[in-house]
Amino acid sequence: MNKLYYVCKYTPVELLTALGADCANLNGMPQGFDRADQIAHPNLCGFGKAVLEQVMAGEVKELVLVNCCDTIRSVYDILADSGKLDFLYLMDMLRSDGTCSRERTVEQLRDLAAAYGVYRGAAFDIQAFRRAFQPVERGMEPYISVLGARMGKQLYDMVSKAMPYPVENDTCVHNRSVGEAPPPEDGDFDSLMDWYAGELLRQLPCMRMMDNTGRKQLYRHPNLKGIIYHTVKFCDFYSFEYMQVKQEAAVPLLKIESDYTLQSSGQLLTRLDAFAERIGSHWQEGMEKKMGKGYFAGIDSGSTSTDVVILDRDGRIVTGVILPTGAGAAAGAERALEEALSHAGLKREDIDAMVTTGYGRTAIDQGDKSITEITCHARGAYYLDPAVRTVIDIGGQDSKVIRLDENGGVVNFVMNDKCAAGTGRFLEMMARTMETSLDQMSHMGLKYHEDITISSMCTVFAESEVVSLIAQNKAPDDIVHGLNKAVASKTAALVKRVGGEERYMMTGGVSKNESLVKTLEEKLGAALVVDENAQLCGALGAALFAMDMVDRS
Amino acid sequence: MPIVDTFGQFVEKWCDTAPQRARWLLKTGWEAQNLKFRFLPDRRLIPADRYLARLMMDTMLRPLQHPEQCAIISVFTPCELLQEAGLSPYNAEAFSCYLSASRAERGLLQQAENAGVSETLCSYHKTFLGAAQKGLLPKPRCIVYTSLMCDANLLTFRTLAQMYGVPLFAIDVPLRQTEDNVKYVAGQLRELAAFLEEVTGRKIDAQSLRTRVGVSRRTLEKFQRFQRLRAGRYIPEDLVSPLYCGMTNNILLGTPQEEKYVDMLLRDVQSAPPKRGKHIYWMHTIPFWSGAVNDALSFSEKAQIVGCELSQACPPDFDPEEPYEAMAHRLVYHFLNGSVNRRIEAGIRHAKEAGADGVVWFDHWGCKHTMGAAQLAKKQFEAQGLPLLILDGDGCDRSHGGEGQTATRLGAFLEMLDQAGGTRDE
Ligand code: SF4
Ligand code: SF4
Ligand code: SF4
Repeated sequence: MNKLYYVCKYTPVELLTALGADCANLNGMPQGFDRADQIAHPNLCGFGKAVLEQVMAGEVKELVLVNCCDTIRSVYDILADSGKLDFLYLMDMLRSDGTCSRERTVEQLRDLAAAYGVYRGAAFDIQAFRRAFQPVERGMEPYISVLGARMGKQLYDMVSKAMPYPVENDTCVHNRSVGEAPPPEDGDFDSLMDWYAGELLRQLPCMRMMDNTGRKQLYRHPNLKGIIYHTVKFCDFYSFEYMQVKQEAAVPLLKIESDYTLQSSGQLLTRLDAFAERIGSHWQEGMEKKMGKGYFAGIDSGSTSTDVVILDRDGRIVTGVILPTGAGAAAGAERALEEALSHAGLKREDIDAMVTTGYGRTAIDQGDKSITEITCHARGAYYLDPAVRTVIDIGGQDSKVIRLDENGGVVNFVMNDKCAAGTGRFLEMMARTMETSLDQMSHMGLKYHEDITISSMCTVFAESEVVSLIAQNKAPDDIVHGLNKAVASKTAALVKRVGGEERYMMTGGVSKNESLVKTLEEKLGAALVVDENAQLCGALGAALFAMDMVDRS
Repeated sequence: MPIVDTFGQFVEKWCDTAPQRARWLLKTGWEAQNLKFRFLPDRRLIPADRYLARLMMDTMLRPLQHPEQCAIISVFTPCELLQEAGLSPYNAEAFSCYLSASRAERGLLQQAENAGVSETLCSYHKTFLGAAQKGLLPKPRCIVYTSLMCDANLLTFRTLAQMYGVPLFAIDVPLRQTEDNVKYVAGQLRELAAFLEEVTGRKIDAQSLRTRVGVSRRTLEKFQRFQRLRAGRYIPEDLVSPLYCGMTNNILLGTPQEEKYVDMLLRDVQSAPPKRGKHIYWMHTIPFWSGAVNDALSFSEKAQIVGCELSQACPPDFDPEEPYEAMAHRLVYHFLNGSVNRRIEAGIRHAKEAGADGVVWFDHWGCKHTMGAAQLAKKQFEAQGLPLLILDGDGCDRSHGGEGQTATRLGAFLEMLDQAGGTRDE
């Protein structure tokens, strides 16, 4: 028998079950949106596209939607036109929960029951209706809550694995709470539906309800240890709640965004791990290594370069190397480590403990432990200058801003999303467009004449703007200045988001870019510390953590 | 929108340090523009459209001059009740357009994004939010919105009400076109009347409301008549007049000023010369700031915009004697409510009425409903013999532009219409 899929907590699942449906929540994350993109605009929210993708792949035959949002309404229109479903229904849920809405909801229930009954050739089975109500149980132990827009199954599994506490999915359809009370003992279909409509509407409101004041309880639970706030790309509802949660929540908070595909999980994993480190402190467990020669290594395996730092027992830098990562993270790390050892005149055995960090950290089996680059960067920056409170790291593929407390611990951080703007890659692509090198470009734009503004943030559009500026014979210095401004304002926005404050340190490959640093300083209205070891910051932090692992007493 | 844009820079700059001063500058800049409309109107426009430019500017200025007499509204809020309560519209979407026309939008958008609003929220809402957050926009008396057409309403207006600490009234419009739903909405409108009476301390007179809803109905009828008459005529158009009309036909519906505008249209069309070039019907908002669209369609004898979807509300078949039901009917049966097929069918009908040779479906970045329906629309319009161009862009945020692409696509579309044969004379 086909499953009947639903997507919203206001769906009358129990009613449909009583009409013989086998109900399941549709929540998979596909590999990509090839089929969806053929029939819909790519700017629909990722979930909407995931629904389209799964229907077009023939995985879904019965679907009940709710007019939750513009995306779902569009998905309904498109699916109705596609003719791919045996049963498709859109519930017109109202946005208020007054008496009037209850009456209107009863109408909806009747209408849906009739439509599904005809489709299935089944009648309402009152016993099955009663059986369908299952009380929702919830433990009382400490937990982490996923809030915000719905989270796909695979991502949720990943989150659960990464966190040091049990994770509750309190998003959208997942905090359905119908069934806390069983249906009244007597009553006919009509009176049951009246009661049922009340139950559906009585749930904790989601963001699409006009009055959603009850939602605060979601982030004020006494056992709550942390919040992972999830948004879906091209969904607008939840960023509004996030603005509020950010101000009011008293527990650590991480915001992640997904587009409902399986890709990009790599970057999310880094951030999830860093968050888990912030909440629990499981990485401090292994402080039982014996001291040998007294050398400690940190390896930062980035997408463009692999950096190694070796420290001695007093925490002094013995050597630091930077090599291109090359084909594989593991091989790159191997090479960089060898280079560093030979540079320092040491052997592998002389290293008492080693910590890996960076994108490739888990691919390297050399190390004793791996820690995210967020935590390592913070540690490294604090080592270089304990007065630093904000680290701005612009690397080749991503950029991040980290806020430190007075002990060098991470208070907050953001990473730039998948988009290239605001990263080294953006500048690299623009350098190519201007037929110059990144190196040359880093000295251009210091003396500009015309204050050009590149308005496009998207790399593709920015590229065409640059091409037309070149065609207009604008001076290269002026164009570079414009590009630097674009990157600087993107970065400054990240700084704002974490509440950055002085003193600022800039790390990562782009810190060598003189003209960009200057523009960013202007934008922030503050000086940026660029240490000569800025590029080694992550590896340095990792080495410091390696040092922690050894009992040096 | 030919507003002097140099002062926008300063508005943007002063916003951070001296929002009051920025507001003053905005008001002064717009007042100057209004004087220009009065004494040096654009002579290429028909008199009705010259009048419209002034009317719109007056409407925009009022919230800056007397914010306490204004209610922030979403564009489809039925305004007859507000007018009866003595409140002027302070319309979010229109303000964003004007702020963008004054080139002050960049910093405002950035502000909203910094506060945490998603990058993908519609720029009409984001600009307005950013401006409110920066303190550029004065505090209104109250806020009234409808859920019609887009989610952004719910989000923006709820946030604004909290921010300003002013009373908020939401009108929930269900999707389906049924009489029960009309009743449900009419009930809410009665509550709105009580709400406005309390907020303003002014009684809403039943008879005068009936008269006003009568004006609304007449205005829509006359506008429909005009659209049919223009099919065979040439009326020089810029990009903003159809857009203004999309706004005023909603937020000023029920006012004598708006009726005067459609009366002028009916008069002007009599003396308009026969059709020249191609008639383009425009679905959704118009990116008035785009040089590429301007070059292709503004004051061109080769092709002009002959109407914008937003200026059509619903068939003028509501009964002013029951004003609450009539306004509720307008919302429930609004062409933009319900299944997108209603919207597409209405678009096809209106495009044909105006003698369109082609249609542009403008995928405003962030407008999920419009983007979601684009491909269905293309199929259905073309099945009815109306070539349709899906154009991606942004009505307000220049950084989502891509002018090169716009020029190529629109240019190619117009060439294609030309090749398809001479103009369709009706
Ligand atoms: S956000 Fe609310 S209305 Fe929308 S699908 Fe989720 S539970 Fe349903
Ligand atoms: S994620 Fe947002 S836009 Fe997508 S279906 Fe849910 S509420 Fe709608
Ligand atoms: S453009 Fe679309 S998303 Fe924006 S306000 Fe209008 S209807 Fe809403």
